[in-house]
Amino acid sequence: MLKVKAGDLDRMGMLFERYNRQLYGFLFHMTYQRELSEDMVQQVFYKMLKYRHTFTGTGEYIHWMYSIARNVLKDHWRKNKQQVQHEGVEAAETIAGGLVPDEAFEKKQAKAELHRAMGKLSESQREILALSRFQELKCQEIAQILGMTEGTVKVRIHRAMQELKSIYVKMER
Amino acid sequence: MKCELYEELFTGWINKELSPEEKGVLEQHISGCDHCRTELEALQQLWGHMGQFETPEPSANMSVKFYAMLDTYKESVKEQRSLWADIKYQLSNFWQWQPRWPMAYNLAMVAILVVAGYLFFGKSKSDDQDRQLQALSSQVHELKQTMMLALLENPSASERIRGVSYTSEIKHADKQVIDALLATLNNDPNVNVRLSTLDALTHLAGHPEVREGLIKSIVEQDSPLMQLAIADVMLKLQEKRSVGSFKELLKQKDLDHGVRDKIKQTITQLI
Repeated sequence: MLKVKAGDLDRMGMLFERYNRQLYGFLFHMTYQRELSEDMVQQVFYKMLKYRHTFTGTGEYIHWMYSIARNVLKDHWRKNKQQVQHEGVEAAETIAGGLVPDEAFEKKQAKAELHRAMGKLSESQREILALSRFQELKCQEIAQILGMTEGTVKVRIHRAMQELKSIYVKMER
Repeated sequence: MKCELYEELFTGWINKELSPEEKGVLEQHISGCDHCRTELEALQQLWGHMGQFETPEPSANMSVKFYAMLDTYKESVKEQRSLWADIKYQLSNFWQWQPRWPMAYNLAMVAILVVAGYLFFGKSKSDDQDRQLQALSSQVHELKQTMMLALLENPSASERIRGVSYTSEIKHADKQVIDALLATLNNDPNVNVRLSTLDALTHLAGHPEVREGLIKSIVEQDSPLMQLAIADVMLKLQEKRSVGSFKELLKQKDLDHGVRDKIKQTITQLI
């Protein structure tokens, strides 16, 4: 990234190749919408180009990438405030509905429920679970991205898991 | 330990980030706490289920769009640069396009007028301002002096010390100030006020009347603290005339033992 900052814009292509799937995965788990996530990946990379002078090189590149991605998400949510609440849940339902057909029905059902439960979490809880479970980042890395202590991150993950469990249990009843 | 205190460890357990010691601590806890054990198992299971979610692959379209965007961006950066070069080129052309001598003449006239204007108006104005400033600063000076004199009369010792400390801000102490300070040095009931007055007077030691006043004050002081301090000041100022006063002080029968030694030492050092 430092080379991009120095003016070697072609290097951005390398960064894209390396990180686009990871970034897409994160945005997908935050929005459950494929096209929207693709658009957001585009926005994140555009912002990284435009604001490349703000990358200091003191932290890891991916932390910077995630913080830009979080801003893009925040912008999106602010612009579409009313829709958001339902959007995530509905999208989760469509995704869950479109799973491979030869899977056992019960298993499929359970998975769909869990997806729907994820959609009902608050944005920050979904975010921290997306980072830890789906992006498989270490607590210490998440702490750097979110600007918290490692201990806080661990407690928040735990709380989010508890919340997810209680939503899930309520659904099953 | 309460169950809530294990929350951090729970997270570490399910995402396998625990160190062996931490693992031991948690294992010990759940072996004795049914609630936490079932909770941990449930969360572990949930975590496992979440692992089965598949993340879809981005479409090939995304990559195409990205490279298109990158290319456009590179073009725009290039254009910006060439725009700058264009402006520079235009400017240099402008200079060549104008007949050079008249242009230079114009510029020179402008420069001369600016300088002349500055000299003409600037100077008279600044003189006036200087005078005003001087008047103002002398007023402030007087004000401070009056305030200091008023503070020295204050019944509170700390206020009097504040008054004394103002003298360090007064650049040219006049006779009135010096007299007031010397009176405080000899007559103030509080030893701390007297000590800070002595300090203030030391800074004004350039005035002969201050030196004389200090020498006279030696015999007036009855506090050992003041006697020691004044001996130090005299030594610092190398004031040989003070020897007489010190000898007189030595004649006092109730003089503190330590002070007596110090004064003897001071006398030998001064002579």
